Amino acid sequence: MAMEEAKKPKGADDSREARLLRATLENMAQGVAMYDAEHRLVTWNQLFREYLDMPEEFLGSEHTFEDYIRYLGERGEFGEVDIEQTLAKRIAQLKTSHRFERIRPDGTVLEVRRDPVPGGGFIAIYTDITERKQAEIKLREDEERFRAIDAAAPVGLVIVDADDHTVLHLNPSFCELVGKQADEVLGQPLDDVLHDPANGDALVAIVDARSSERKEFQFIRPDGTTRWTMVSQVPLDFRGEKAVICSFVDISDRVQAEQQLREAKEAAESASRVKSAFLANMSHELRTPLNAIIGYSEILSEDAADEGNTAMVADLDKIQSAGKHLLGLINDILDLSKIEAGRMDVYLEQVFLNRMVDEVKTIVGPMMQKNANQLVVDCPVDIGTLRTDLTKLKQSLINLLSNAAKFTKEGTVTLRISRDAMPDGSSAIRFDVADSGIGMSEEQMGRLFQAFTQADSSTTRNFGGTGLGLTITKHFVAMLGGTIAVASEPGRGSTFTIELPVDAKGLPAEAGEVGEVEIVDPGAPAQAGAITVLVVDDDPVVHEVLAATLGKEGYLLRHARDGGEALAIMRKEPPDIVTLDVMMPKIDGWSVLGIMKSEPELEHIPVIMLTIVDDRTLGYSLGASEYMTKPIDRQRLIALIHKFAPGHEDGTVLVVDDDPEVRALVRATIEDVGLAVADAENGQAALDWLEEHHPPALVLLDLMMPVMDGFTFLEKVRALPKFTELPIVVLTAKELTTSERDFLARNTLLILSKSAQPIGTLGSALAAIAGKGAGSVAAGGRAPSDSRS
Amino acid sequence: MTKILLVEDNEMNRDMLSRRLSRNGFEVLIAVNGQEGVDLALAERPALILMDMSLPVLDGWEATRRVKADPSTAAIPVIALTAHAMAKDREDAVAAGCDDFDTKPVELPRLMGKIKALLGMED
Repeated sequence: MAMEEAKKPKGADDSREARLLRATLENMAQGVAMYDAEHRLVTWNQLFREYLDMPEEFLGSEHTFEDYIRYLGERGEFGEVDIEQTLAKRIAQLKTSHRFERIRPDGTVLEVRRDPVPGGGFIAIYTDITERKQAEIKLREDEERFRAIDAAAPVGLVIVDADDHTVLHLNPSFCELVGKQADEVLGQPLDDVLHDPANGDALVAIVDARSSERKEFQFIRPDGTTRWTMVSQVPLDFRGEKAVICSFVDISDRVQAEQQLREAKEAAESASRVKSAFLANMSHELRTPLNAIIGYSEILSEDAADEGNTAMVADLDKIQSAGKHLLGLINDILDLSKIEAGRMDVYLEQVFLNRMVDEVKTIVGPMMQKNANQLVVDCPVDIGTLRTDLTKLKQSLINLLSNAAKFTKEGTVTLRISRDAMPDGSSAIRFDVADSGIGMSEEQMGRLFQAFTQADSSTTRNFGGTGLGLTITKHFVAMLGGTIAVASEPGRGSTFTIELPVDAKGLPAEAGEVGEVEIVDPGAPAQAGAITVLVVDDDPVVHEVLAATLGKEGYLLRHARDGGEALAIMRKEPPDIVTLDVMMPKIDGWSVLGIMKSEPELEHIPVIMLTIVDDRTLGYSLGASEYMTKPIDRQRLIALIHKFAPGHEDGTVLVVDDDPEVRALVRATIEDVGLAVADAENGQAALDWLEEHHPPALVLLDLMMPVMDGFTFLEKVRALPKFTELPIVVLTAKELTTSERDFLARNTLLILSKSAQPIGTLGSALAAIAGKGAGSVAAGGRAPSDSRS
Repeated sequence: MTKILLVEDNEMNRDMLSRRLSRNGFEVLIAVNGQEGVDLALAERPALILMDMSLPVLDGWEATRRVKADPSTAAIPVIALTAHAMAKDREDAVAAGCDDFDTKPVELPRLMGKIKALLGMED
């Protein structure tokens, strides 16, 4: 132990009291030294020695307090001081109890306490207070730092009681923000300080929020101005109570700037809308006289050519070509203004590429001839189709080709079409328009797609054009979900590449496309034979009324609340009948009707318009089958639905015969009496047809056919429950055996012999059998919709 | 001579197109509104009808629908003439029963191509 090694205090006696005193001294948590009246060290403990780092030779009564001080002073314990002065001061202090703190060179802080003892001498007690001192210093520094931050932060800080939101502390920024003095705010509930009737309990909710998410909060200051703030809050313990510190960041400037921006933007948009409406009207006004100029100059030119007046032909052709140029400019400007006003609609349809290319070739042919260019088209015959906007695709290609023709002389312009993949991996069609013309520099290409900028401003003079073609093309391609790129070198020609997705259906709705709509309709349950009626209306009452009315009649109702939803449902699972409202959000009924009639899978579905808009003419011209105005006449609606329900309609006759001549002849005679005809070349094809269509009014069946003959067809079709009553008439040239005749008699309505009568005379007989209305056939009726006229 | 019925309300358009059609060897019948067009179609059974769409009295869509609804005129090909090159107009024209359509201003060679195709004439 340290005690054994240490030198025992001199003069220590070994009496029991002395040992006890020694043990006590050594167990103290302080350093202790006792001096006699002559200031000689009488006794000390180990801590005294450690604290002062006192060498052993000084530990004894032969040295005095003065010796120690001088020694310590020389050692530098008191810093750069005059030892004798320090000593004098110390000695003067000894007369009374005193205490002071001393920081030793190693940083240890000692509290020194000296007390005189009776009979002279004194006791010195040294306590190591380094830790306590450091904690105090840290606390003071923390507090100073906090005060500095609190005072300087440009953020309003307020600490409130977690329960009643009483303000416990606030900083100067908060006062400034809310426009109140600190004493007006302290002790008040924060909700009163910042109360704004328009905000309700918004602030309470923010302060009580458990999340640290920042929220916007606005309030009105006493001076009447509004401040927008971003508030965040953090729970903390404050003076032992649960509290919340809220910080308010003033975002008023930003909010006001945004508001001004928004207003400016709205004003600009409104101006742009007015502009585009003006342009749309103007363009019509401009085009009408222009048409006359172009048209009459053409006529005059033709007249002059007839008379051999070639000089006049040349002049008239100049008028005409200038007129056409002007018309082109007007059309381009109109297109661009429509695009910029967001009024350019996209109509998607299945585009047969080969057919489209032929049309494009015809249009650009004359342009190619002008500069003696050769047009090479490289389009595989099996390239197939893509779903896109035909007009826009065509115009884009014509723009690129006419540019190519313009900037190439006696060269080659190539249109290459191929299948490719979009960057996301989906299937795409790639159109390359390459020329061997003057080409462009990097810098020229950079400006290429900007409106009113041609690669060279002298270009317009030399080559004509508005410089809008590429801008329009770029917009069109973007609307169709595609990309356009260019590669060129001066003198080496240019290649423009358009890539379009094979199916443009995923376009954003603002492009004007019929957006993909989430189908909320659960879909028709697999209920064999039920006739489905799709009710399209944004008014829930109509759905309820029709569900009750038609549900009772055994129809299966499906529901769509707007045009987009209706189309989505129809495309997924075509209903048998549609009732269609006109005024609906997003896509109105007219558009739905127009789109239905343009899609092969939907065009045959009977549509009953059910609307308050009384515009029958438009409805019928768009292809509606019937037109009813609201309020709904339920009896009439039921009658109409019955009329259009499959099985009630004027039917189709399915002609099953392997001989194309017979099929054509039968088709002609049946169509003559106003019935629709479908045909199949054998029994299997007929079964396939029946699988995919509504039951026909009549099947006209040949017996001897390849793949599947008429007998097998009859066996198979009668085995299907839904076709046990299907009317079938046999038309055959076969000599029938008795058993065959018996079989046919059981399974068909009638057996007609091809040789017994000319096929051309069968029409009205078949019409009569086909059921509904030999009368209407005789009257020249055609389709169910004719009952309206 | 092959008869073509031109239904057009704009006097200048009518004049220009009828003169040019005559020059190309057609007999041109003129109607100035949709109703006249339907009546004339029934009475004269032209070989082909050129139908403007925005017409007074009866518009081109409705006139076309009526022509196509009457068995005696249903087979007559109708070419719609529209002022707008929008796909919607095309869809509407086709929905009304038009066999083809062309946009105004008329480009005669293009229109002649369509007329000849519908009439099965050699170019």
